[in-house]
Amino acid sequence: MDSPLKAFKRTDGRWGLRNHVLILPLHSALSTTARKIADDVSGCVALNHDWSGEVDNDLPRVTKTLAGSAANPNNHSVIFLTLGTDVELEIIKQAKAITKQTIIELSLPKLGSIQTLTEQATQEAIKLAKEAEAEARVPAPWSAIVLGLECGGSDALSGITANPALGVASDRLVELGATSVLGETTEILGAEHLLAARALDEETGKKIVAMVARYESSINYEGIDIRGAQPSRGNIEGGLSTLEEKSLGAAKKAGNAPLTGVLEFADVPAKPGLYFMDTPGHDIEQLAGFAAGHINVVVFTSGRGTPTGSPIMPVIKVSTNTPMYKAVTDFIDLDAGTIADGIETLEETGARIFDEIVAVANGQETKAEKNGHQEFALSRMYETVVPPLFS
Amino acid sequence: MSTGYLHENRGIGIRHHQLILPSVVCSTHVARRIANGLDAITFAHQHGCGIIGGDVAGIDDFFSQLAAHPNVSSVLVVGLGCETIQSQELGAKLLETNKSTRYQIIQESGGVQGTVDSGIAAAKQLNADFPKNQVEIRNDQITVGIDNSNPKIDTTELTNALKAAGYKVEIVTDSHISIDNFSKLMELKAQVIISFPDENQPASGFPLIPVINIAGTGPLHQATSQDFDLTNTNSSQEILDLLAKVIAGQETKAEKSSVGEIRAPRIVRSV
Amino acid sequence: MYCEPVMRKLLFLDPSDNIAVSLADLEIGELIEQDGTTIKVLNKINRGHKIATKEIKKNDGIIKYGERMGHATSDIHIGEHVHTHNVLGDRLSTEQVAK
Repeated sequence: MDSPLKAFKRTDGRWGLRNHVLILPLHSALSTTARKIADDVSGCVALNHDWSGEVDNDLPRVTKTLAGSAANPNNHSVIFLTLGTDVELEIIKQAKAITKQTIIELSLPKLGSIQTLTEQATQEAIKLAKEAEAEARVPAPWSAIVLGLECGGSDALSGITANPALGVASDRLVELGATSVLGETTEILGAEHLLAARALDEETGKKIVAMVARYESSINYEGIDIRGAQPSRGNIEGGLSTLEEKSLGAAKKAGNAPLTGVLEFADVPAKPGLYFMDTPGHDIEQLAGFAAGHINVVVFTSGRGTPTGSPIMPVIKVSTNTPMYKAVTDFIDLDAGTIADGIETLEETGARIFDEIVAVANGQETKAEKNGHQEFALSRMYETVVPPLFS
Repeated sequence: MSTGYLHENRGIGIRHHQLILPSVVCSTHVARRIANGLDAITFAHQHGCGIIGGDVAGIDDFFSQLAAHPNVSSVLVVGLGCETIQSQELGAKLLETNKSTRYQIIQESGGVQGTVDSGIAAAKQLNADFPKNQVEIRNDQITVGIDNSNPKIDTTELTNALKAAGYKVEIVTDSHISIDNFSKLMELKAQVIISFPDENQPASGFPLIPVINIAGTGPLHQATSQDFDLTNTNSSQEILDLLAKVIAGQETKAEKSSVGEIRAPRIVRSV
Repeated sequence: MYCEPVMRKLLFLDPSDNIAVSLADLEIGELIEQDGTTIKVLNKINRGHKIATKEIKKNDGIIKYGERMGHATSDIHIGEHVHTHNVLGDRLSTEQVAK
């Protein structure tokens, strides 16, 4: 099947499905400024976060997330707002090592005040947004799609309707040469053996099992009862009884394609295929890991319904049941509840999801984009001990 | 003598801020749209779901403290519906300390627009039900928080001067990052904060509490002097003079630029 | 491929499963005849929740999608609601963390 895709070609060979200007503050005290500029200038998006330059155990993870977000191919350009510190310069350096897009650094001490910084950044943003708007999409191959698979607010229908239907779409895309990435380590716990059995090589299979074991021991180390958070109260109300049950259903998002590789949080997949990325189940932290791993479009299945999006990636919402879809249609793009009602087959719903991914990749706005959702959260380990995977 | 706002059992506020409190990261954007439709305060955060262990009680308590702060007039909790911190439970808990609390749940309000519309209506109703109650205030009703993140600063003289003027004083030096000390001072119910940020940290603010930023001598503070209200060369009396004006309603620079985020304390990773 | 007609109340996912997923809200005493089996509903069971389709002994595995998703914490009879009150995950639950 010839690719019907049209996207933005980056000079380093990657493809953007969006072409926005990212305003990226490198200190919590600059977050409100970034948000204000993105609100005022059309074509701009912003991250807000509460990182305040701390040099601690989480610094490598924070650096990787912010640098990776800046280098996501959906960005036409990036305006960094900084205090000009060494840790910030390292983040910018890492971003520049990956992307060749325009990067502008505006330093608060150089400009003298929040007001001057806001004015200067707004001017730059207007200029870059104009350039971005003038750029045209060009025909792109299937490999231009780097899809993220996510579920949140799951119910017992998730593993029967929306997730396996998304699996159908993901399999088709992988078959055509695109990339698809499953995340949420919490939510494959109890299903990792099924993914390991599909690994392209032995090393990858061992790695995914080890990754889940590492996660499990880090939570056991804390001596904490994970129940209450996983499955969440909403999951339990929806009919899910255990984490393993949730995982068996969650893993269905990845269809039946062979597993090409396993990624650490915010790693970038090296070649097309199906991957697993080590992320928390926390939806917004996971989306941050995806964006930093250069995923350029996400499908998010939900049983309870969530309006959230991402500043960097278009996020397509799919409901697992029709009553929820009807209750909150202004933030759910597609309904897969039709499968439980016998109205559609998995393949038919899967085909609809596939078509929607293509349409969104070609520029159609998702409901989260229309509603202006740009949630963002840094994933931190705090005091949790997480050893490297293999010595 | 200056005037403030009588906020029931929470005490005297020097500001009358309506708080739109998202109980989970997933509702922060909807909360923002509600706050933008009013003259209300909200903030983005990344908590409320996927939290375990001590963080569940910790975050719940932090939100309760925010709602119980004397500068808060009323609270609208905006929840998603399926998160760990359930908004109706949080709302019920907040009602114990703040009668002017209502909650709104996205999954039950017909979508984003439905929640924004009914949220704005609920917040307006709160304003009507709990109108401003302006009263004369004395210095001993004011807790001045001092964020001493700058280890080079000795605040003894300032503290003595504040106490001599009748103010209650709370000093926090836990972190060299002001955002964390502000959260502590919020829990200690400081109605106004005097901040001496670390020399490598910028002037910043806290959405519910006016923060007076005092610059140190380092290059960052020198270069961004316009974002500071005063410098450490100002006398304690000059600080007290500005403090009195801020208590009376004058906006600090951080309030004018609405700079600053709220950061809740966390212990364990998200799951 | 799961293509269930609307009138079906239960979804059987795998022949080795000892539970089915309800596709409708089920009432106490309701008799469900489907795919050659008859099940009398013993509790009120909401849509999306699980119902026992085989006799399950305490500590037996709960099998869904043909995979083990936890174990029974008490005996569970055919037609009973299978959920957190009688099921515990094998991993990362309080019992296991305490070990």
